[in-house]
Amino acid sequence: MKTAWIFATRELRSGLRGFGIFLACLALGIAAIAAVGSTRTAILKGLERDGAALLGGDAELQFTYRFATADERAWMQSQAIQVSEITDFRSMIVVPSGADTSPERALTQVKSVDAAYPLVGEVKLSPEMPLDQAIAANGAVMERVLADRLGLMIGDSFSIGTGTFRLSAILQREPDNAGGGFGLGPRTLVRTESLANAGLLQTGTLFDTKYRMLLPEGTELAALERDAEQRFANSGLRWTDARNGAPGVQQFVDRLGAFLVLVGLSGLAVGGVGVSAAVRSYLERKTSVIATLKTLGASRSTIFATYAIQIGLLTILGIAIGLVLGAALPLALAPIIEARLPVPAEFAIHPKPLIEAAIYGAFAAAIFTLWPLARTENIRAATLFRDALGHDNALPRKRYLFLTAGLVAALVLSAIAFSGTAFLTLWTAGGIIAVLGVLALAARGLRALAAAATKMRALRGRPALRLALGAIGGPREQASSAILSLGLGLSVLAAVGQIDGNLRGAIARDLPDVAPSYFFVDIQSDQLNGFNARLAGDPAVSRVDTAPMLRGVISKINDRPAKEIAGDHWVLQGDRGVTYAQTAADGVTITQGSWWPADYTGAPQISFAAEEAEEMGLVLGDTMTINILGRDITGTITSFREVDFSTAGIGFILTMNPAALQGAPHSHIATVYATPEAEAEILRDLAGTFPNITAIRVADAIARVGELLASLAAATSLGASATLITGFLVLIGAAAAGVDARTFEAAVLKTLGASKGVILKSFALRAGLLGAAAGTIALIAGLTFAWAVSTFVMETSFAIVWGNALAIIIGGVAATMLAFLGYAWGPLKARPAGILRRGN
Amino acid sequence: MSNPILSLRDVHLSLNGNAGMVDILHGISLDVTKGETLALIGPSGSGKSSLLMVMGGLEQATGGTISAVNQDLTNLDEDALAAFRRHHMGVVFQSFHLIPTMTALENVAVPLELAGESDAFDRAQAELEAVGLGARADHYPNQMSGGEQQRVALARALAPRPEILLADEPTGNLDGTNGEAVMDLLFDLRDRHGATLIMVTHAPELANRCDRVIRLRDGRLDQ
Repeated sequence: MKTAWIFATRELRSGLRGFGIFLACLALGIAAIAAVGSTRTAILKGLERDGAALLGGDAELQFTYRFATADERAWMQSQAIQVSEITDFRSMIVVPSGADTSPERALTQVKSVDAAYPLVGEVKLSPEMPLDQAIAANGAVMERVLADRLGLMIGDSFSIGTGTFRLSAILQREPDNAGGGFGLGPRTLVRTESLANAGLLQTGTLFDTKYRMLLPEGTELAALERDAEQRFANSGLRWTDARNGAPGVQQFVDRLGAFLVLVGLSGLAVGGVGVSAAVRSYLERKTSVIATLKTLGASRSTIFATYAIQIGLLTILGIAIGLVLGAALPLALAPIIEARLPVPAEFAIHPKPLIEAAIYGAFAAAIFTLWPLARTENIRAATLFRDALGHDNALPRKRYLFLTAGLVAALVLSAIAFSGTAFLTLWTAGGIIAVLGVLALAARGLRALAAAATKMRALRGRPALRLALGAIGGPREQASSAILSLGLGLSVLAAVGQIDGNLRGAIARDLPDVAPSYFFVDIQSDQLNGFNARLAGDPAVSRVDTAPMLRGVISKINDRPAKEIAGDHWVLQGDRGVTYAQTAADGVTITQGSWWPADYTGAPQISFAAEEAEEMGLVLGDTMTINILGRDITGTITSFREVDFSTAGIGFILTMNPAALQGAPHSHIATVYATPEAEAEILRDLAGTFPNITAIRVADAIARVGELLASLAAATSLGASATLITGFLVLIGAAAAGVDARTFEAAVLKTLGASKGVILKSFALRAGLLGAAAGTIALIAGLTFAWAVSTFVMETSFAIVWGNALAIIIGGVAATMLAFLGYAWGPLKARPAGILRRGN
Repeated sequence: MSNPILSLRDVHLSLNGNAGMVDILHGISLDVTKGETLALIGPSGSGKSSLLMVMGGLEQATGGTISAVNQDLTNLDEDALAAFRRHHMGVVFQSFHLIPTMTALENVAVPLELAGESDAFDRAQAELEAVGLGARADHYPNQMSGGEQQRVALARALAPRPEILLADEPTGNLDGTNGEAVMDLLFDLRDRHGATLIMVTHAPELANRCDRVIRLRDGRLDQ
């Protein structure tokens, strides 16, 4: 090893020539992962630091549909220094008509608070004033977007339910809004007492209550949580505390961050192709040195160690550059990122994401350099002047194959450990390996196709095109590096673009045809007849569906905590809509079991959504306990039925027999299918007659979902772009590595009478063809993946998004042209005599 | 001397080397007659190959005039020189210089294609058969021996039927038997096509097969 070290350091004295692409690929891949990881950690640290402010207290008890009971309140008072009660619900704001205007309506997310609010943090208003003053005496504050939408000025009046309010200020900052989650309407903030006569917070209407507690210093939050949950078991309470003040946001950032790091891994994989090519090219140049060393008595292991040490030292340098960039970039961009983030972030040098990136980089470098290094063992002293390494495509010895497999496994295991999600990691790693495999096969196919095409009669007399195809299909091909380097990034971009386009297309194009115009919620039982009567005679209304609506949390399955049985399934996250029905609605397909008799009054029975039941592992006869309004109701699953959520109509996961739920206070929901022209009038009439009812315009909700999808697609595309940039670097490396071959080719062609124009045309054609092929293969891979996701996961129809498809192919052509033609000038201007004298 | 097919007058060549400008050729004047075979001999570094390159327009002379096939090559640009070679000149190198990404047949067809010949491939196949490699048409250069590669290079040089054939030590990279076979083939083909042959060689027995031998020393003719 000492000898190897001495040899290695001697060889490195000649500098880092030829390792620019090696270092760039490695550093860029690591920098991307380190930057994403550092940003994720910064946000998570920010959330942790400001947990109490985000939550609005040290701990929170949340109830659905109800206020806390006297016992619950007493317990909170006994534990806390101060308690604040808030309610949160959706409602309609109505601005009364003026002399020449009709009433304006808009959906809003109302938060009503007591005098103690906010326990932590500060509400910022414009014009500046204390919140107490702003919302006193039926005052209200709202977000600017809502005020603008309704044309409200400070001092104007509006109504929520049957209550009348006056806009006293614009809400600029709400300290506890990050945990709010997905809201359909902008925020309005009022005093809870002001709602007393608004007819909105009645039993059975949809609202949440949150009790924030300011706790004495040193309170053990975990112990307090256990105490609350034991004391108020089966009450439907949900606990949150400052350890994780915005759980939804934290989980979202954590998952999105993990996903983007995994996308970053694909960049490292592409960079690995460049790293591998650079090492191969370096070792090819060292063939005679290696053969000479062997002639002089160096063993295979000494040779391997000599070059492994060199590559190892360069890897350390590449990792160091990547880490510096990855740590510095988020710090440099911190002011911009912080200004755009709705949540706090603590930008600093966080060691964990840097360690994560360094480990990935080290594994990736080892995986991609092992085979070229292993080949040094195959160089025989006798082949000193033969191109022994260049055409040696045999697999390395078995020990290296096993070592490679071990390194890949170690990399995947590290990714699982760091991301915390084996499912996502395995799918991503499997996807990367599969796509790289497909791309490698496609590159072979392309080479064979190009080689076959050169023999086509049609190409005779077209030397530029035949030269281009010959270069792609011939033994010194660059097809593999071009397709591998660009393919992965373009595949991800194609898949994201196609999935996003199809999903948004389905939402924007297909859904409005089948979706209702409005969802109406909070219809009280005594309002239902009047509601239906208004719509029954209206020729513009084609259909009205109504259903009783309660909300409940599935707490137990077969008398065991539900999460133990069905894990983290979305049905168990938070509360779900629950309904009851005497008979199965028209068109409902029962897949298993049978519906209860129309007059059934026995023990509660449940009809459950078939697909979700299968995912959760439920079978007929299982029991399920649902906490509704603090009361546990246990029923037996007697049927499974198909529930189609794709039409945005009424669809309940869980339906019970009427006797089980009828006694509980509840409201109704309705979907109204009407012609677009009639929508405004229907809303005006119903909102006017029933001010407590909230209407959600489905088109607005669809637009909001579309915006969210666009943001996710943009984040993923950004990650894929890093992969693409790395791919471009690899391509530049490949183009640079091929300069000598192209210079020689140009010299021979000039000798045979080819003009510069013909040679340039041939270079451009080969770059263009390679790029188009890389783009097409990536597009096929992306389309296949997108089709599978759309068809089997999203269950939407699939149609090719041609704009994206064209952009992928044009992107491929542009990238290869740029990389290859950038290196065309040297070969074109080289004088043939000098080149040909040196030999090939 | 009848009207020469190639004529050099006071040709100078200086190249920029690591140690600055190096004078390679010093006022070479030379006429080559149509159909003649001429050997350029001399010690290493005497400028033989450089002179051959200048004759072929592969190297731009820094002084003097060169004319070939009644055309003044002195001031032609690179593309015009390429077009001249396409129609009038074939070149054979010591290192064969086949294009590695092309099969033997494609290599031979290239100059014909560049000249716009519609039957390029048929003629290339015939040329390959003439050098005894008809069966190796689909092989790539790295699948052939040195001797075979040089035979392909010969076929490629002669396929467009050039008036002038330049050969730079065509057997320099071949062993004795292969070298002899290639040489026999070269003279045989030249005789058949009647091209003017100008050949750089170190081998006296090869030089002796030519009509005329010219010796170079330090970039000057040493006749």
